Amino acid sequence: MDPRYEKIISSIIRYSFGLGVVFFALFPLYWMFTMSIKPFFEWSPSVVLWWPNNPTTLNYLQLFIPVETLAEWGLVNPATDPIIHDTATRAIMNSIIFSTFGTLLSVFIGTTAAYAMSRYRASGDYMFLTFRMLPPIAILMPIVIWFSTIRLLDSAIGMILLYGLFPVPFVIWLMRSFFDDLPREIDEAAIMDGCSPAMTFVRVVLPLVRGGLAVTALFIFILNWSDLIVALTISHRYAVTIPVQIGLFESDAGHMYGVMAALGCIAVIPTLAFGLAIQRYLVRGLTFGAVKG
Amino acid sequence: MAGLSSWFRIPEKFKILLILPVQIVMNFIAIIPFALTWYVGMTNWVPQLTIDWWRAQFIGPIAFVYAINDQIFLAAVARTLFIGAVVVPIEFLLGFLLAYVFLGKFIGRKFVTLVAVVPMMVVPAAGGYVFYLMFVESGPVNGLLQIFTGISISFLSNPTWALISIMLADIWQWTPFIFLIMSAALLSLPQEPINAAYVLGASKWYAFRRVIIPMLKRPMMIALLLRAIESLKIFDYPYMMTQGGPGYATQTITMNLYESGFKYLKYGKTATQSLIIFIACIIVAWYAVKPLRAAQRGE
Repeated sequence: MDPRYEKIISSIIRYSFGLGVVFFALFPLYWMFTMSIKPFFEWSPSVVLWWPNNPTTLNYLQLFIPVETLAEWGLVNPATDPIIHDTATRAIMNSIIFSTFGTLLSVFIGTTAAYAMSRYRASGDYMFLTFRMLPPIAILMPIVIWFSTIRLLDSAIGMILLYGLFPVPFVIWLMRSFFDDLPREIDEAAIMDGCSPAMTFVRVVLPLVRGGLAVTALFIFILNWSDLIVALTISHRYAVTIPVQIGLFESDAGHMYGVMAALGCIAVIPTLAFGLAIQRYLVRGLTFGAVKG
Repeated sequence: MAGLSSWFRIPEKFKILLILPVQIVMNFIAIIPFALTWYVGMTNWVPQLTIDWWRAQFIGPIAFVYAINDQIFLAAVARTLFIGAVVVPIEFLLGFLLAYVFLGKFIGRKFVTLVAVVPMMVVPAAGGYVFYLMFVESGPVNGLLQIFTGISISFLSNPTWALISIMLADIWQWTPFIFLIMSAALLSLPQEPINAAYVLGASKWYAFRRVIIPMLKRPMMIALLLRAIESLKIFDYPYMMTQGGPGYATQTITMNLYESGFKYLKYGKTATQSLIIFIACIIVAWYAVKPLRAAQRGE
């Protein structure tokens, strides 16, 4: 075939695939966003509304401001409008706190272990990898029994501990791949110059992998932020997180489509932002360092 | 305190110190509860009876027979395997195809590859909820069906369609995973053997099948394995979209254990079933980590 035609055909294929990808990847997000700015009478219409006719911020306001206050301001009428009885502020705060501290905990315990595995030939790395392959529910049942015995169910400490433990295999394998990228001669030179092993680790090696540490931390934050099953089994009332709360919003009027969609949008923002920020390292993260993008 | 500071100075001791934090946490929230489950799994403990687990009636290893002999549980296991068997090959082919199509240089490549990864970064619970919104009676999927065919389907209350909807959601979210891995793998391929094949007169298809594919074996295997294992954990979509219904039509392993454990509070039985899943997955995972291990060592 004439190479010129081949070129044209291949770019037609490329751009039609490109259009398809853009449409299918983004349409659900478009739908969630428009639903979140639709007023309640547009949530479940008899004929599909492809865009919001009466955009409103009320769904977002309901997430943060108690319904009594909104009624005082004259924005909702509790007698006729569908309302949620609790705001989502607790879930949002919980998500931020649990994910952040859980991430810090797991990065701390995972990084030290990864260093030991990279430089001191400590064992256990494959055990952690195997641990990660298990469905969380198989480990959660025991944890719930144990936590109910020591009164950690539905508590912030319990959640942070779990968010510190579950991503540890990812931290170990990711950080190990960053440590392994670093020449051993650096450690050896520091030791030769009279640094103790601890000083070498803290003062010499860690600063050199701080980029890797940041990538790992963001990656783990995304994992923790996205979690549903752990929070669902451990929390009941007090320690709910955003993903749990999305499933909880129901009212006398049925599903609170718009408000749930608004919370969904809020849930997606950090993972999208962080995910795109570390896009270059996502492959490495998701394959435990086996494929380096 | 010479004794204390020696932990930071002597390499052998420092190694133990480095491992210590992870071991404390691991023991506290993984090993102890795991041991506990072996005991609880062999009792008929139900927390509603307001007795503590150590006072529950011990029924012994026969509990495993009871746990296995549970049609709903077995059906959930079979259904989860079925979902994985359908979804993973589709995701793989689609992701690989996209990675291949978007390989060369063209205007807008950066944008398209960026957008293609977006679904993977959506919180699965939110993603599940959006797919619920889209497949619901008044949603856009039915809207399109109405325009083109004039019929509407109640996707989420029909057993077959509900399962298909969940599979579609999973494909939407996880095709980017394959796409990312295969893109990275394709980009890092050495060009010389491919060009050599062309010079020797190989057709594009022949070069693809005989030169490119063999070089991609390792990343392909890793992508498939990781996806297959992850697909066994599927929970967020059925939970958000159908709650496992209608009936048990979309109940997966995780969904089943979650319901029998935390909704119906059959702790004893659920603990036993968790153990069974745990052991089965350990065996699978043991073989699954091998290629990862080899890739890490750079073989």
